[in-house]
Amino acid sequence: MSTMINLVLEATWQTVVMVFLSTIFSMVLGFPIGVLLHVTGPEEHGGIIPHPVFCSVLSRIVNILRSFPFLILMIVLMPLSRLIIGTSIGTMATVIPLSIAAAPFVARVIESSLKEVDPGVVQAAKAMGSTNWQIIVKVLIPEALPSLAAGVTLTIINLIGYSAMAGAIGGGGLGDLAIRYGYQRFRPSYMVAAVVIIIVMVELIQFIGDRISSHLISRR
Amino acid sequence: MEIRLKNLRRSYGKLHAVEDVSLSIPSNTVYGIIGKSGAGKSTLVRLVSMLEAPDSGEVYYDDKRVDNLSRKELIEERRHIGMIFQTFNLFSSRNAADNIAYPMEICHMDKEHIKKRTEELLALVGLERRGNAPISTLSGGQKQRVAIARALATNPSILFCDEATSALDPQTTRSILALIKEIQKKMNLTVVMITHQMEVVRDACDRVAVLDSGRIVEEGKVSDIFASPHHAVTKDFLSSLTTVRESIIRWSKEGGHYTLRFRGGKTDEPIISAVSSATGAIFNIRAAGVQTVDGEELGVMITDIGPEGEVAESAVRMLEEKGVHVEESGEV
Ligand SMILES: Nc1ncnc2c1ncn2[C@@H]1O[C@H](COP(=O)(O)OP(=O)(O)O)[C@@H](O)[C@H]1O
Ligand SMILES: [Mg+2]
Repeated sequence: MSTMINLVLEATWQTVVMVFLSTIFSMVLGFPIGVLLHVTGPEEHGGIIPHPVFCSVLSRIVNILRSFPFLILMIVLMPLSRLIIGTSIGTMATVIPLSIAAAPFVARVIESSLKEVDPGVVQAAKAMGSTNWQIIVKVLIPEALPSLAAGVTLTIINLIGYSAMAGAIGGGGLGDLAIRYGYQRFRPSYMVAAVVIIIVMVELIQFIGDRISSHLISRR
Repeated sequence: MEIRLKNLRRSYGKLHAVEDVSLSIPSNTVYGIIGKSGAGKSTLVRLVSMLEAPDSGEVYYDDKRVDNLSRKELIEERRHIGMIFQTFNLFSSRNAADNIAYPMEICHMDKEHIKKRTEELLALVGLERRGNAPISTLSGGQKQRVAIARALATNPSILFCDEATSALDPQTTRSILALIKEIQKKMNLTVVMITHQMEVVRDACDRVAVLDSGRIVEEGKVSDIFASPHHAVTKDFLSSLTTVRESIIRWSKEGGHYTLRFRGGKTDEPIISAVSSATGAIFNIRAAGVQTVDGEELGVMITDIGPEGEVAESAVRMLEEKGVHVEESGEV
């Protein structure tokens, strides 16, 4: 029993680390891409530096990456992990493909949040002599904040799911535990424990995310 | 600051939104630009306020050409103009005071100065102690006041108003117009007031240009335009003035064949009797009223003039000689 608790605790911790790090890295990668997608978009949708060619090329790339089945993308990206941190197995090695796989998703989430900002407000900021950077940092992001927070919540929840899948190819964490012990060694209790913990995590993140979003809205 | 426009044009695909507009907007006035929806008003104001570059033509602020500035110069120049909008366009992520602070923040002004100036501006627009209010808690009129304060934060010399009162009820409209006029005098601003409401022109503007399908069809002092409108669109705008209808007394349900417009001093002279006895014309007055435009009283009279033919024609000529503006088959 105590070995099971230890194993479950360890796997949970690995999942938390994986999700935490890959959330940060996918944001770092995806956020600027999302901003670029929005600001280079058409003027009537609030684009401040319209550039149709750049925007549609970037948009295509994001779409292609998003339509890749996640597992295949993971396998394709394995050599990259080996290159960067020397191994393609384990929690840390999984963070890299996870982050890259989630980045295009993050980009779209960020883009659609920024699209919700009233173009009239952006025009007013422009009329006052804001630089493009000031519009992004002082207007677009603050105005979109409640929606951005909801986007981050969605990203984390997606990454919890992805990280469980990553377990199947040697990633560690709760998905790995469920497959190795629950499935391959016929220990349903491990399977149940892993699934229950994942459900609790998702619920918890959703709850906190909703609270943050509604707090941000209530202050307006 | 004086604004001069030379042969401005702007098309969107095949649509000529602004078509050969030349205009001189004198310094230190409230200048109205009136036009129906789709006439090209917003496009024109975007060209004049450097938000959009014209396809051809020139824009001058005093003697400085501003339609062909570099990006950097453009940003610098925009910091010396103010702009307000129909939908207020305030930042919902900032409270009233922080909205007003924004244009000063982007110029990297000193924090203490920003704080002091924000307080001054809140007082100027009558919102003392409302600085901490989230925007969503303000009424339409209060939102426009915050927007005005924000537009004036950097001491601009021009204020552009694009349908600034169109989303407000009549009473709030009057208070906002009064505020704009007061501020115009206090700060020696040149105010460009875009609108589709003749009331706004009557109550707030010194001069007006009438825009139709991207062209200026009439321009002049507001009292002149009200006394003798020439273009059909202008007449249309005048007849849609609800308060004219209200100020008019009708003796007959039917409209007369002529609309006469009298100016200030002439309202005292017995023009009608003079014309009647000199020409033998008979006046059948259907409706009449007086309204005040820009401090001047303007009379309107809807009447038949008979008998038709030579007598009526000479009566009309004589009225016009006496400075009365006569329109045939008028309906107010
Ligand atoms: N960015 C744009 N792209 C395409 N057409 C536009 C754009 N802006 C305005 N128009 C068109 O130009 C005409 C004038 O528009 P606008 O200047 O907004 O008129 P107004 O403000 O007088 O109602 C309209 O027919 C409108 O559809
Ligand atoms: Mg408009």
